[in-house]
Amino acid sequence: MSRFMHIGRGLYGIWLREVMRAVRDRGQLIGGVSRPLIWLLILGIGLNPYFRGEVYGEVRFVIPYTYLQFLFPAVIVLNIMYTSIQFAVSVIWDREFGFLRAILISPVPRWIILLGKILGGSTVATGHGALVLILARFADITLSWDQVALALLLMFGLSFGLTSFGVILAARVRSFEGFGVFSNTIILPLYFCSSSIFPLDPSLTRAQTVALYPEWLVFLVEINPITYAVDALRGVLINFHQFDPRLGPMVIGGMTVVFFLSALFDFRRR
Amino acid sequence: MSSPRPIRKRPRWLAGAINIIAVAGLLYLATFLPPDTSLDVMRGGGTLRVCVPQSAPPLVTGDARAPGYDIEVLQHLAGHLNVRLHLNYNPAIGQDFNPRNWRLTRAQCSIVAGGVIDSTATRGFLQLLPTGITSGWAAIVPDDTSPQPVKAVAVLPSQGLDRLALSGFLREKGIRAVPARSPENLAAALEAGTADMAIADRFTIGAVPVGEIDIRVVWLPEPPFTRLPLAFGLWKGDLTLMRALRDGMTELERDGTLRTIAERYGLDIEPEASDDMAVLLSLAPEVTP
Repeated sequence: MSRFMHIGRGLYGIWLREVMRAVRDRGQLIGGVSRPLIWLLILGIGLNPYFRGEVYGEVRFVIPYTYLQFLFPAVIVLNIMYTSIQFAVSVIWDREFGFLRAILISPVPRWIILLGKILGGSTVATGHGALVLILARFADITLSWDQVALALLLMFGLSFGLTSFGVILAARVRSFEGFGVFSNTIILPLYFCSSSIFPLDPSLTRAQTVALYPEWLVFLVEINPITYAVDALRGVLINFHQFDPRLGPMVIGGMTVVFFLSALFDFRRR
Repeated sequence: MSSPRPIRKRPRWLAGAINIIAVAGLLYLATFLPPDTSLDVMRGGGTLRVCVPQSAPPLVTGDARAPGYDIEVLQHLAGHLNVRLHLNYNPAIGQDFNPRNWRLTRAQCSIVAGGVIDSTATRGFLQLLPTGITSGWAAIVPDDTSPQPVKAVAVLPSQGLDRLALSGFLREKGIRAVPARSPENLAAALEAGTADMAIADRFTIGAVPVGEIDIRVVWLPEPPFTRLPLAFGLWKGDLTLMRALRDGMTELERDGTLRTIAERYGLDIEPEASDDMAVLLSLAPEVTP
């Protein structure tokens, strides 16, 4: 068998293990369902009356969509963030129970092992993001197959970057308990500071925006890479951008490359 | 002694597939939950309240026998929802550039109709349900075989369309604009030869009483001018009402009712999309500073 076949089979085996483990884990799947239900159904419906129109010409929420539609792409990103970053638990698990040591002494190159694990994690995270698409009907969003395909591509890019980020975190955390706290302190601030649940009105100038929100908050939103991932998905799913449409794919692409190379650097040092 | 029964191994992927189908099914079922109470409230009251301008022919006419395209469509939609249609005529609609000054509130109506334009600006305030009718700037041009340079056009300004863009375009092309106050003014300007072309919105242009002159009715070129789909405006966040009305519109379209109503008001015939219109306008003399 050629060397490429060996490498390909190794990559496939590691990817399949991650995917099978995730789809058999009912707890993880329930998490993938409960998050969109809580954020879209409970929060979206709960806040809907506060953002609905009461007088023609007066709205508190000057975007050409309903609050549910605005929230929908952000909930996809939230689901991907949780699944991708929590994937690092699998790395810690493999390290604790010796599986990682077993495959590291196999003839498969280290970078293939890492790539297989990250591809597996990315596939699962993309799947969790895609589950939210089922709720598009609820949010009154009509999707064409083109939109779904483009959204899945962006979701996979984001999942790949964030899963790599999860692996970087796993290299720095030694216990499961520590990782749980660590991941929540990263995921939730990133999510809330990504213009996910409140809009920065694109029709306003920067001066007007900082008159509406404190400058430090606008600054946090603007430097947060997740902001641009949410914006890219909004562009695809509801055709609404708050920032330059080119920034989203560029930031997702940049995250993918930078985080994977960093994860590879960490993985090789071990 | 019988041989042991072979062990039937379940495929490896089966457990995972069952889990995925279960969670996807759960999410799909959740989509049937009503996201708001707008439809229930409207059905509870038994009335579909609609705010319309006093007159916006042919969408709202004020004539009980032919009340207008929008009104007839809304009558069918109210029938689809098993409620009565209540029209709230508001003379302020369309009279002021800022819709805030029309003082339309949720308490007055669930729908705004009679010429709501489907644009990003309108979508900032309302959810829109397209009615299948398009508006925009249209023109009456003489039906000449060899187009002549246009030097002057009679213009009847229209609410809702971008008048600034039109005047800027005419100024840039060096075409003199002759203001008109009524469709009759437009016809008189064409007949007297004070204007080579008449411009108004698509509905008004159809009502210009042109006598003996051979004419064509055409859209102004796109770009720079855009054709604007018209819609019914619902309050943002009223998703259940929106879905019920959209279902009703789909049914009216399927059974041909929309087409029949459009034919009754002459809306099935649109102005032509004419290539020589761009040529006509580009033939205009350049402005000399």
